[in-house]
Amino acid sequence: MKNRVRQLRTGREWSQGELADRLGVSRQTINAIETEKYDPSLPLAFKIARLFKQPVEEIFSDAG
Amino acid sequence: MNHATLPQSPESRANRSAFLKSMKLNLWLAVATGTYLVTLFAVRQHPEWSPGWKVVLTLSPVLPGLLYARAGLRMLREMDELQRRMQMEVWLFAALGTVFVHTVVNVLTAHGLGWEKYPDGLGMGGTYMSMFILWCVGTVIANCRYR
Repeated sequence: MKNRVRQLRTGREWSQGELADRLGVSRQTINAIETEKYDPSLPLAFKIARLFKQPVEEIFSDAG
Repeated sequence: MNHATLPQSPESRANRSAFLKSMKLNLWLAVATGTYLVTLFAVRQHPEWSPGWKVVLTLSPVLPGLLYARAGLRMLREMDELQRRMQMEVWLFAALGTVFVHTVVNVLTAHGLGWEKYPDGLGMGGTYMSMFILWCVGTVIANCRYR
């Protein structure tokens, strides 16, 4: 799955650690999501969407 | 310098908390292992003790073992979703790998090709050692994969 998490994070000048703290996850999780090695669960995807005030489908899209 | 007054980042606080939880987990494992070794020695040294008392002593490491399992499950529940997924994958890798190792050793033993030192297979100690080694290997692989 493709995502725009890195783009949205850097747009707010947040570090990975800062975003991880805001979402209550580890920095490793943020890095794995940004590098598309890991797809977040639905609750975490909604949390990310709420934090960036965007619909989930604007942040995450099907790679195929 | 008083380190207690230094400001701590949320990440370092989380790391400290994770360290303390893993120490608690390791403490229960150490207590279970220590109890096992002490009771094993005591029961072997005193064959005159009643069978009931021997059963109680022999099973006494089960209690710290259960507390170890409880601490492990609590730690797993408190992990974030990626860490939990990694641990589940690593434990599955360790368990299936141990089954594989046991199968290979048992087949070799059945054909008279086993190690002379272990005529009855790996036993309990070998099982734990195999799981621990495979858990370490799996943790390294998982960390490389999701780095």
